[in-house]
Parts: sequence; C-alpha cells; structure tokens
Amino acid sequence: MNIEKRRKLESFIALLLSTLAAVFGLLWLVFILGDVLVHGIGALKLSLFLNDPTPPGVTGGGLRNAFVGQLLITVFATLIGVPVGVLGGTFLAEYARGTKIARIISILSDIMVSVPSIVIGTFIYAILVKPVGHFNGWAGAVALAVIMIPVVLRTTEDMLSLVPWTLREAAFALGSPYYKVIIQVVYRGAATGILTGILLSIARVAGETAPLLFTSFNNAFFSVDMKGPISSLTVSIFQYAMGPYDEWHMQAWAASFVITVFVLLLTILGRLIIKWRYR
Amino acid sequence: MAETVAIEARKLNFYYAGNIHALKDINFSACKRTVTALIGPSGCGKTTLLRCFNRMHDLYPKNRYEGEIIFEDKNILSNEIDLIALRSTVGMVFQKPTPFPMSIFDNIAYGLKLKGVKKRSDLSEKIEKALKHAALWDEVKDKLNDSAYELSGGQQQRLVIARALAVEPEVLLFDEPTSALDPISTGKIEELIVQLKNDVTIIIVTHNMQQAARISDWTGFMMLGELIEFDKTDKMFTAPSEKLTEDYITGRFG
Repeated sequence: MNIEKRRKLESFIALLLSTLAAVFGLLWLVFILGDVLVHGIGALKLSLFLNDPTPPGVTGGGLRNAFVGQLLITVFATLIGVPVGVLGGTFLAEYARGTKIARIISILSDIMVSVPSIVIGTFIYAILVKPVGHFNGWAGAVALAVIMIPVVLRTTEDMLSLVPWTLREAAFALGSPYYKVIIQVVYRGAATGILTGILLSIARVAGETAPLLFTSFNNAFFSVDMKGPISSLTVSIFQYAMGPYDEWHMQAWAASFVITVFVLLLTILGRLIIKWRYR
Repeated sequence: MAETVAIEARKLNFYYAGNIHALKDINFSACKRTVTALIGPSGCGKTTLLRCFNRMHDLYPKNRYEGEIIFEDKNILSNEIDLIALRSTVGMVFQKPTPFPMSIFDNIAYGLKLKGVKKRSDLSEKIEKALKHAALWDEVKDKLNDSAYELSGGQQQRLVIARALAVEPEVLLFDEPTSALDPISTGKIEELIVQLKNDVTIIIVTHNMQQAARISDWTGFMMLGELIEFDKTDKMFTAPSEKLTEDYITGRFG
C-alpha cells in the first residue's frame, strides 16, 4: 500500500470513529429530550400549574407549590450568588489583578465548579439545617448560591480581563477614581458577557436536585415561608417518579418537561447574547 | 525665553518596577500655548516621560519617581498631590482611539460628570462646544446617541480629543495620536493640534519626525532615557547642536 492510500485510509478511520462517538453521545441526548418531550407534553395540564397536590387517589392535583417554591429558591439563590460572584470576579480581575492570591482563588473556583453538588448539599445541611433543627428554604437558596458563585465569579473575571487595559487608562486619564472606572466603563464593556454568565449559572442551578434534597427538602402544601421546608420542582420530580401512583408519574413527566424547557430557553438566550455581542 | 513655562521637569529620574532606570536626569519644560514634541528611537523613554506628567505610572505598583515636576507652582510628584485633580487638568490622548462603550454624547459627558456637571442643558452645551473644538461636530451632530464604536478610527480619535477638551485641561498629552490612523485622518488631527495650542499647552510624542517638524514649536530628542537635545523646532531640524540629534534626524539610525 502506498503512502497516499494509507493516509486516506487513516483519515477515513479517524472520521468514522469521531462520527460514531458524536452520534453515540447525541443519541442519548436526543433520547432523553425526546422522551421528556413526548411524555411531558402529553401530561401537561393547566391544573398542574394552578392546583396544589392532592392526596393519592384524589384526581386534579397539581404542583403549584413546587413551581412557586422553585421560583423562590432560584430567585433568592440568584440574589445571593450573583452579587458575590460579580464582586468577587471584579476583585480578581481588577484589584488583585496579577497577584498570587487572585490566581489561587481562580484555580479554587475552577475546582468548585466541578465539586459534586451533593457535597455542597450536605455541607449546607451541616451548617444551616442541623443547627436550626429542620429543613428550610433559605438553606436551599444558599446551597444553590454556593453552586452559582464560582461560575459567575470566573465568567466575570474572564469578561473583565477581556476589556482592553487602555480603556481603563483612558478613564483614569480623565481623573476618574478606580471604582467609577470599573462601574461606568469596564462593566459596560463586559456587560453582555457577565449577563450571559449569570443566565447560564441560573440554568445550571435550576436543575439541581441533590443540594435541595438536603436543605429545602419538600413540602406537600403550598408554602412561601423560606424559614420552613419548601417544595421545589426537582425534588418533587424525584419523589413523584419514585412513587407508586400513575398520576404522580404523569406529573413528574410534566414537571420534567417544564424545567427542561426553562433551562433550554435560558441556555439558548445566553448563547444568543454571546452571538449578538461578538458577531 | 519670553514664553511662560506651563510644566517643567527638574532632574527627573524614573524607575520602572524592578529598578529599571528609564529616565535619567531629565530637565524639560513646556511653555504655555505651544506644542512641544518628543522624538527619539523606540524605547528611548519619550512615552515614559509623557506619562510622568499625569502620573499614569502610579497605576502600576513599584514604579518610582525622583526629582520634581513643577506644575502650577506645585511639585506634582509629591505625595500630597490629588491625582484625580491633576489628571483632570492634565489630559491625555492615547495611541489607539479609546472611546468608552457608550454613546458619543455619554463619552464626552463622562469627564464632565466627574467634574460635577449635572444639568442636561449644561452638558449639551459643553459637549457641543467640545465637539466643535475638536472639529467633529458637523460629522456627529445628528447621531449623538449612537455608539461611539460606529465612528471611524479618525473620528474616534477626535472624539477622544473632544472628551479630553471638554474638561478644559491646562495641558494635553498626546501619545503618538496618529500612528494608528490613515493619512487623511492624520492631517485632520495635526491641524487640530495646531489650533488647540491657542487654548492648551500640548506635549506630543511622535515617531514621525516630519510630524514633529510640521506641528511643534519646541522639540526634545531623547535617547536611552536621556534628553539629548531640547530646542526650538526650527533650530533642531536645521542646525542641531548635538551630533546624535543630527544623525537621528538625517536618518542615520533609529
């Protein structure tokens, strides 16, 4: 076999293997999404959003409590996580730029991003649930915030670092103090990037179950009291899917569908913003 | 010297972090309402000198000044100097245009707001004046709310000059303001600089000797951190006293 033929063969094998790997990966993704779509749409009912759960056997129940609970936990997680993440990223990229401590924090938050979320759940359980004596919504929000912080922090740091240094110098040269340079010039330059990071981090935590299982747990009744156990979609899906009733399974499918679509939309929005910004 | 001195460096030495001796015993002055050019080969310290006049080096740790720079009867190298006040009286224009990511209007309003101008009507008036001053008004008057990034490079550079002028500085520092521009834009900026000297003292760093000859009244030639020769531009380019200056100007090195 001459060298040209061999190269073509090698090229074909490489192409074949990588295509097969891609198809194999996509297959499961499509399978999962398709399954959720088919079962979810079928089970979607208006009562799901409007009614609270009913005792098993009584029809017409919904997951209103879980939708509201999920919303509350996610909103509070965002309110806690985003300011900490953005300010932390600002510290790393601006005030501590180039220092050893900034590098160490960067590396640590990269590690934090990949820490299993159940570890964070048990940690928050130890500091916010055990001492209080019962599951509570705040613990859930804090657990999700802890997952968000490293994501937002690193994105903010990266986006701020992309803003040309000369832009800061130009603002300094007009007699601007550093905090105004950051707030009025640098943040503007990095705004879309940071916003994208925030959206993607919300998408990331919206689907988390493990940390909520240990913190906000679940509540069969409608509750907006963050001091007590509060229902969430993901934990409800977990319990309903494990439960023995068909009605519960249907509702779990529908809830899975809703949350998947929500995460999908957030992710698409995040991607679109990147595309608009950097076209 | 019949003219009054606006800003003067006396025995100025400057060290970058790591004790790199970048400026050596510089004695230099710029007279009021003149254009002073700094020329010299790359790495000779002209930009370093320019950035001493608004203490830009203070943004980076471990840079060190020695000597004095006298501006408005004060040594601006002393620790008591308010850098924010200094930088609003000694403006700077950079090599690449540096418009902020905001509208044309807001770009110029930025410096004004820092100075405490708040009323919309005052802002509009001063912004119009600054844009006219920088010969940009006619090109942008109908799109003040558009992003500054939509302007061409030359327009952006004039916008940045307008932004610096809006706060009414005494001295304006130009760091190779035309090296990123095409010849037509360069011509416009040069014309503008010559006009501006009626109101502000200008110090300009340039790689382009013809540019120095065209627009400056005084020229300083620097090499390896030293100010080799400093004289009237006419004399520098016709009868320099130093052999090194002559060699550089006639293109024997650099």
